[in-house]
Amino acid sequence: MRTTALTSDPVSAATPAPHSPPSGLSGLLRPYAGTIAVLVAITVVANALTLVVPRLIANAVDDFGRGQLELATVTRELLLVALGVFVLTALQTLVQVYASERVARDLRTRLTAKIAAQDHFYVQNVTPAALLTYLTSDIDAVKMFVALAIASLVASVCLIIGASALLLSIDWELGLAVLAMLPIIGGTFFVVLRRVSKLFKKSQEAIDWLNKVINESILGAALIRLLHSERSEYDKFIEANTRARDISLGILRLFASLIPVIMFATNLATLTILVLGGRFVIQGDMSLGDFTAFNSYLALLIFPVIMIGFMSNVMAQANASYQRVATVLDAPDPPKGGTLRAELRGDVEVSHVSVTLDGKAVLKDLSLTAPAGTRTAVIGPTAAGKTQLLYLLTGLLRPATGTVLYDGRNLDEYDAQSLHRQVGFVFQDSVIFNLTLRENIAFDKAVTDESLEKAIATAELTDFISTLPAGLDTVVSERGTSLSGGQKQRIMLARALALNPRVLLLDDFTARVDVSTEKKILDNVRRNYPGITLLSVTQQIAAVEDYDQIVLLMEGEVLAAGTHARLLETSPEYVQIYDSQRSTSHYELHAR
Amino acid sequence: MTPSAAPATTNYTLGKTPAYEHQPTVVASVRRLAPLMADERQRVTIAFVAVILTSLASLVAPLVISRTVDTFIQNRDFAGVVRQAALLLSIYLVSLVTTYVQTQSMGRVGRNVLFRVRNALFTRLQELPLDFFNQNKAGDLISRINNDTDKLNQFFAQGLVQLLGSLFQMSGTAIFLVSLNPRLGIAALLPAVGVAIVTRAASPWIRRTNVRSLQSLGSMSGEIQESLSHFKVIVAFNRRDYFREKFGAANTHNFSAAVASGIASGMFIPLYGLAFTLAQIIVMAYGLTLIATSQLTVGLLIAFLLYVNSFYMPLRQLAAVWATFQLALAGLDRVSAVLALESNMPVVPTSDAPPSAEDDVLTFDHVSFAYPGGTEVLHDATFTLKKGRTYALVGPTGGGKTTTASLMARLYDPGQGRVLLDGRDIRSWEPEARTQRIGFILQEPFLFTGTIRDNLLYGNRRHQHLSNDQLLALLEDRKLDALLRRFESGLETPVSATGDAISLGQKQIIAFMRAVLRDPELLVLDEATANIDTVTEELLEQILERLPSSTTKVIIAHRLNTIANADEIFFINAGAITPAGSMDHALELLMHGKRES
Repeated sequence: MRTTALTSDPVSAATPAPHSPPSGLSGLLRPYAGTIAVLVAITVVANALTLVVPRLIANAVDDFGRGQLELATVTRELLLVALGVFVLTALQTLVQVYASERVARDLRTRLTAKIAAQDHFYVQNVTPAALLTYLTSDIDAVKMFVALAIASLVASVCLIIGASALLLSIDWELGLAVLAMLPIIGGTFFVVLRRVSKLFKKSQEAIDWLNKVINESILGAALIRLLHSERSEYDKFIEANTRARDISLGILRLFASLIPVIMFATNLATLTILVLGGRFVIQGDMSLGDFTAFNSYLALLIFPVIMIGFMSNVMAQANASYQRVATVLDAPDPPKGGTLRAELRGDVEVSHVSVTLDGKAVLKDLSLTAPAGTRTAVIGPTAAGKTQLLYLLTGLLRPATGTVLYDGRNLDEYDAQSLHRQVGFVFQDSVIFNLTLRENIAFDKAVTDESLEKAIATAELTDFISTLPAGLDTVVSERGTSLSGGQKQRIMLARALALNPRVLLLDDFTARVDVSTEKKILDNVRRNYPGITLLSVTQQIAAVEDYDQIVLLMEGEVLAAGTHARLLETSPEYVQIYDSQRSTSHYELHAR
Repeated sequence: MTPSAAPATTNYTLGKTPAYEHQPTVVASVRRLAPLMADERQRVTIAFVAVILTSLASLVAPLVISRTVDTFIQNRDFAGVVRQAALLLSIYLVSLVTTYVQTQSMGRVGRNVLFRVRNALFTRLQELPLDFFNQNKAGDLISRINNDTDKLNQFFAQGLVQLLGSLFQMSGTAIFLVSLNPRLGIAALLPAVGVAIVTRAASPWIRRTNVRSLQSLGSMSGEIQESLSHFKVIVAFNRRDYFREKFGAANTHNFSAAVASGIASGMFIPLYGLAFTLAQIIVMAYGLTLIATSQLTVGLLIAFLLYVNSFYMPLRQLAAVWATFQLALAGLDRVSAVLALESNMPVVPTSDAPPSAEDDVLTFDHVSFAYPGGTEVLHDATFTLKKGRTYALVGPTGGGKTTTASLMARLYDPGQGRVLLDGRDIRSWEPEARTQRIGFILQEPFLFTGTIRDNLLYGNRRHQHLSNDQLLALLEDRKLDALLRRFESGLETPVSATGDAISLGQKQIIAFMRAVLRDPELLVLDEATANIDTVTEELLEQILERLPSSTTKVIIAHRLNTIANADEIFFINAGAITPAGSMDHALELLMHGKRES
């Protein structure tokens, strides 16, 4: 009975070293135990009822032979049974579809809730490509398991136990000889499933890879066309696709041998009965009737064994996929945020902060103070850590050491929602959602119409929006051509301003906006958002000469900080940057 | 002025194009699948032979057993039993081999089809113009390549042989039934005819629910892809609920679509089961009345019941196969929707080159352009770029600078008018030759996941095979080595397409190096250095100055110092391109000119 024990628990059959119980497939399915029980019950009854039909017909034929048949009655009975089977199998389909889709939907909901609670870097590390596979292909595999395998696995195991008991009750010696095949089958399952689980995992990883290649070929579509490098994209795709195919062929090889071996083993049992049973009958140790019964019960036993063989494919795939999904579900939650909900004055302080990314120190013991209502510019060469500094201030990045303070209190103490509503961040690269302009700008749901209007006016978008036939209700797209780089950047600014923030963080905002628009916008911000604390990462000194403070950042360290005049006197590096912009600064001055 | 050969704007939005609503017959549907396995004839044949052998073996084995019982066991001839057992063993061995061959070869067919269809889809994506990508979501395209194609695999690997085997067995049995007793035979087949009619009538509906289900899966992928790639905004704007909600809506929609398609496909199973039971009842009732009038014997009736069994059992299996068949067709619909798209930017035959000055590199000849569904971005623009000169394009955001640059590199075709490269219609250039001449640094730099080396040499056929040392020497020659030194691990520094490990400025530096390494004749920089600090930018300018004097440069920038050295400045706004003459005039236009954006 080893096989039965083995296959009745799909998880332990597929993974020799099972996970902690709740993360296995059985743990996943526990909440649906009721539905699954109903499903199994319907399946068993429907199957049993199907077996009644030939019995009834055989009886009818016998009765006819004895001249006792009432054809109308029998036909009515049969029609009733037929209807019953029809209704039950229909019901089985309904429950199967409903249960499997519900499991998939709920698992997706759980997984997204988990992802949504994670921080930005977790998503970057797991990669969006893998998460996409988890949410689609992997969950589909789990769904197939519920839809196809559960009911037939349970029914098969019941049938195997029943038929085995019947076999043993007729003749225990012959019964044992026949059941000896079960450990062989079980062993084959064990070996194949253990090898195949690894392959299924690899196979899903190949899908991750395909996702990535396709996605990059879409994101980089313009570049590919400019370089006429379609060929090399195709080569990358072929490589990933070939790998996916090869793994898949490996899985196929295993299953293509598993099923014939199982069938052969059951056939050997038939052979055993024929030879051994035949000998018993010839020796007179067994009646011919028992021998015939033995054969027909064996036939009963064979079908479920083969069924399990077919379903083991679905089971192994579901198990491998669920293991992948479980790595996200079991990932530790990011540290719980604080609960402090307070109106910010706008004092920003960074105190002795160090940040390491991928083993590389990006910020080193950095300190910085920006009192409420002041304007601070951060300048410095490419990859100085400017963007990371802003990430730090929004909590997108966590310091390894040191603290980030708002109004003198640690960022961690604040309720995330409350803080994010008061700290507006304009990212360097434009992120536009496939939504209407209104939804893109009023991205936080608390934004009122009034603050939306103010933000739009401040970002100098009013004229642009008025040229659009649908105005604010125009849907803009993921990689839309309808918006220019500068327009996207201004939408990003409006999105941040719509919050009515106390602190505004600009990451190289002026890079894609023309000089006159830039000047207008910054004036607008000062006028419309008085008292706001501004922290602006920029390249152009001319635009920030009158700021309260300019911080020169280099290789993650503050090299110098102070007013423009002071830096000109004290920092040779600052002077070098200033000089690099001076050649044309008369134009800039002219522009201002 | 020649009218444009192809419409400049084509609707590439998938899912909004009319769906495949034609009513296909089974044969027509199978015919649509046939080309996919054109190269698989041999495997399919082998599999089919194996299927037939397996079925024969499973038919013969019970006969051998009953003969053993009837003849040898009853006669107490154990030696005979052993001989029969040996025969049975050889039958089982045959079936061991044929089952393996059948699963293995059809599985291979399925995977080969999957492989080929995915390749075909990806190739088509590469052939489609940029417009297509602007109009469709990445997630949905990924779903088409990864999920929809797999439905075809499933059908080929598991369904096709079963379908063939079942049809084979059914037609054989049907002939037997009718020839045994025509009236009873036809009566026995009536439920099957009924089922066939229902199936035929219901199939389009099932296909539609399947297509809808795959579509909802595609749009769910789209949501996931968008939300995950914009995750930092979601976090910073405290809209984790946005992801959950947007996804929740897509998930719920997918749930109902999937339940609908699951039920629609699943309904065949009880229906075919019902047909089976009905056939048994009909044969019993009608058979018994025939016996009553001595037109049939009891033995024949029992045989008939057995044959009904072997006709309807495969039919019931067909119910499941049919569902995968319909799903495969639905997948094929979505795949075909992409495969059916043609690029609206073919290479047109060379037209008579109009006489043009020797040093004309690029000419806009009365060019007008609008994005699909948008207003005109350029109107009747005419200008010429001369060899070796530096041009600056200035103007307010949204004025049409990037569009103008994109037309220079044929990322789009003009709606009206022509763009001439070296005096020849740019549309008549082979892509290879065109892209060789034009270097373009995009406003939003893109890096592929890999190393800096991979990205520098990306699409660069000439230098593709340089060793690292040779490449370093080349970089040094172009004075690009100082830029490379900004990356800690040099050429082997890893970069990722979506991550934050590399800053935007760094990406721009790599994109700059990549373009310079291609030695283009026309180099277009679309705000290519916008996020680079001004000290580094000076370095980039020096590198640009060292380019061969024949190189024509087009610079789009907001920073005025970047464009101060231009030989000529064009002011672009509200669809018009006007030469600005001097820098001061350009500034004048910028500051006080009529703004229409």
